Amino acid sequence: MSHYGFPDRGTPYNNPAPMPKTVPHVDEIGATSAPLKSASFFIGEKCKEFNEDFMLCKSKNPSEKCLLEGRRVTRCAADLLQKMQASCAKEFESHWQCLEMNNQEFYPCRKVERPLNACMFTKLGLKKTIPGTPKGATPIHEVENPIHQPLLK
Amino acid sequence: MPVPWEAVLPVVLMTTMFTVGGTLFRTARTLNNDGKPPRYGIDEWDEMMMHRDKRLTGSTRGQSSNPKAPPEFAINSIQYAKPSLQ
Repeated sequence: MSHYGFPDRGTPYNNPAPMPKTVPHVDEIGATSAPLKSASFFIGEKCKEFNEDFMLCKSKNPSEKCLLEGRRVTRCAADLLQKMQASCAKEFESHWQCLEMNNQEFYPCRKVERPLNACMFTKLGLKKTIPGTPKGATPIHEVENPIHQPLLK
Repeated sequence: MPVPWEAVLPVVLMTTMFTVGGTLFRTARTLNNDGKPPRYGIDEWDEMMMHRDKRLTGSTRGQSSNPKAPPEFAINSIQYAKPSLQ
């Protein structure tokens, strides 16, 4: 059933077979898109080595050989999410609720983001940095009066 | 002097029609999106994440910040396949 403008992906199939017993079991991350986007910079800072290992491994062999590195990535991210829930739950929740109401864009939610960044820095020692910021320029999340602001303040 | 109030009636009628239509449209859009404003400018990444959210919570706009996924998440993924041309 192909419609104009939509390439035919094929019929959807679900394989209900679980992972083989030889593979160690790691619980998948249960966070959906908005909490993950809110925690993305902190996951990137905390799990940097594991993420880079996995991406390096995948670039070398694109088949399913990188399961060990993948398990490490999952464990690191799940660990950080658990710590965030334990220490900064209220700020985290309000930030991702704000993201959900604003098309998951960061710029309308700076007011809610500042307490979250402060809490993450004091409790967990993680600071949000935007890689690729030009030298000497203030990162956009620290600019006092940015050009793109939400419509209602 | 008598005020021509009949002239105002079409204007009131049109305002009412626009208001009712607009409210119904907004209600339908909000109900479709679990009470949130709709997502716009969705690219393939966002589509992929929304399908993942649907697998996790049952709705494309449902959210949860659970570090551990429910056990059915491991086996409800969907792959697309079509017959090869050989």
